[in-house]
Amino acid sequence: MTLSESDRDVFARIADVIVPAWERMPAASTVGVHTDLLDTVLRARPDLADGVRQAIEHCRNREPSEAVNSLYREKRAVFDAFTLAVTGGYYMADKVRALIGYPGQESPEYDPYETAQYLTDGILERVTRRGAIYRPTPR
Amino acid sequence: MAAVKPSPVTAKRGETVDVLIIGAGPSGSVAAKHLSAAGFSVVTLEQGHWPDANNFPGRKTEFELVAQKQWHPNPNVRDLPRDYPVETSDSDINPLMFAGVGGSTTLYAGHWTPFLPSDFRVRTLDGIADDWPFTYEDLLPHLEEIEHEVGVSGLPGNPAYPPQNAFPTPPLPIGKAGRKAAEGLDKLGWHWWPGTNAIPSIPYNGLNPCVRRGTCMTGCPEGAKSTANITHWPHALKNGARLITGARVREIEVDERGLATGAVYIDENGRERRQNARIVVLCANGIGTPRLLLLSKSSRFPDGLANSSGLVGRRLMMHPFSAVLGVFNDPLDGWQGPFGQLIDSFEFYETDEKRGFVRGAKWGAMPGGGPLGATSFVGSKVFAEENAKVEDAWGANLHKLVDRRFNHMLIYGIIGEDLPEESNRVILDGKLTDSDGIPAPKIVYKVSDNSDKMLRFHVARCLDALGASGAIETQVVHQMRDTGWHLLGTCLMGDDPKKSVVDRWGRTHDVPNMYIFDGSAFPTSGGLNPTATIMSVALRQTKHLINERRNAEAA
Repeated sequence: MTLSESDRDVFARIADVIVPAWERMPAASTVGVHTDLLDTVLRARPDLADGVRQAIEHCRNREPSEAVNSLYREKRAVFDAFTLAVTGGYYMADKVRALIGYPGQESPEYDPYETAQYLTDGILERVTRRGAIYRPTPR
Repeated sequence: MAAVKPSPVTAKRGETVDVLIIGAGPSGSVAAKHLSAAGFSVVTLEQGHWPDANNFPGRKTEFELVAQKQWHPNPNVRDLPRDYPVETSDSDINPLMFAGVGGSTTLYAGHWTPFLPSDFRVRTLDGIADDWPFTYEDLLPHLEEIEHEVGVSGLPGNPAYPPQNAFPTPPLPIGKAGRKAAEGLDKLGWHWWPGTNAIPSIPYNGLNPCVRRGTCMTGCPEGAKSTANITHWPHALKNGARLITGARVREIEVDERGLATGAVYIDENGRERRQNARIVVLCANGIGTPRLLLLSKSSRFPDGLANSSGLVGRRLMMHPFSAVLGVFNDPLDGWQGPFGQLIDSFEFYETDEKRGFVRGAKWGAMPGGGPLGATSFVGSKVFAEENAKVEDAWGANLHKLVDRRFNHMLIYGIIGEDLPEESNRVILDGKLTDSDGIPAPKIVYKVSDNSDKMLRFHVARCLDALGASGAIETQVVHQMRDTGWHLLGTCLMGDDPKKSVVDRWGRTHDVPNMYIFDGSAFPTSGGLNPTATIMSVALRQTKHLINERRNAEAA
């Protein structure tokens, strides 16, 4: 899908309604949800392209908040595709991930033979002491 | 005297084989491995392909985005050519499945929760539904054997179960979220146990150890979640079994004696082919199996194959499901896996009629996931009040929500027993077809009053548990729609040919050389994840077929 500079400008302005700057967090447009991140989102999810296109057309030349609210009221499926494209891109941004403390789907080391805390502090022993809770097969 | 290992018997194209298996999911894979090991010539037809772990998105930045489309468990959402569509306009729940070698386990979370003794004696204990034709104790040796093939991780001694052999790999870490859940249950004096999962913690039978990436439900890119393409098919192929992928079966054919002679299928290039066999075993899941039987009509079987009881497709059970989310002040590393169950609870599994319903449910505590998961409840809040605005839930409030929830959530999944009702069923749709033009299944399914009451009770108890754990905020999603993971009951197993489709060994009453080894045959559903029991029952039935090979009828 080819988007013009104008299209991307519209997307940036309405994306900032969904994800504005707030305290330490940057606005959606600041991290590029309308540029490289939007391209990444649409490569991953080409099915969102039509919704993104329709959202841009619906909101062009309108006050962003009013436009997004009317988009929700009138075109819910388009609104859903648009907001997913915005948040999907936003939470892929390195800067955003660093700010919220998300390293991505990492693989933390662990020792499968380490004695778990629940085996030493009595919390699981209390379950065992209460005894069996299943109903046995009737004879 | 040492046992003599049969030589591999490799079927050739066009040859009539001993056994044709339809479906290479958990049950079909068990059957293929063990039948081929016993010297049977085996061909398996699978509509999907071999999964390629390099395509699983778990290591990619866009993981959460594609999980909602290309890797969604609902075939109607994925909309891929290898999936068949399912007409669901008359169903309260969407069925979930995946076409490929390994079947729906490609996308499952790996919760390993075998049926309990009471699950096999529902009629005797609770006066409803049906007893199984065998008991928990009958199945236990097969379960223990399957657990060693699958590479289950877990801690022995769970008082929710009778004593059994130890699991082959140590338990996975329960993580901060599991610990938080356990602390609440401990305060209340309620049962909990570290999660048992079909995810090994050490290298095992071709599987790598879990690295806790937390992307189990979009395919494990580490090769660490137990799926039959890794654990069973290498053995089956070595034994000489033949697996044909991209093969969509259209019909099971029968001869003049009423014996199954094989199947007609459409290959990847759209060509019609025929595989002849002396014995046919259906393992196409609780929707695919009755669909195929209903498609296989003939003058001898005008209502579909093996359907003289009229029960093919009826008694569909899909496990209505609710989720309860708790938010905590402490960080819980909520994106870390496994995305199997961190801990489980069977505190309210058994029947207590004072609760206003019969049977019960199992809870599995799971981590909260990534940031998109933390925002997924936003949409439902928009315009909750008259004159509310988008910004009431999005905008700055989105940031506040993510700050509050992301990395601070745990989720209880509640799987409640779904009782069989003949009105809940699989039929053929009159219009919808798959990409080969074969009629698609239609689901007619209503959540019962018993299920609704059961889920509401369990939601209330989960809220108690989360409160005891110190939750500062909770949210309930009652009876979620996209939760039909467990497709059971549509080809009832029983001793009476007039009231059941297959006998206690999985052989169809009407077609003596045709068998059903998947979850379709389950008389009841239990209130838990059924893969452990599906694979164990498949092994039991397969071994009986092997042992009775001299007496088995064959085309």
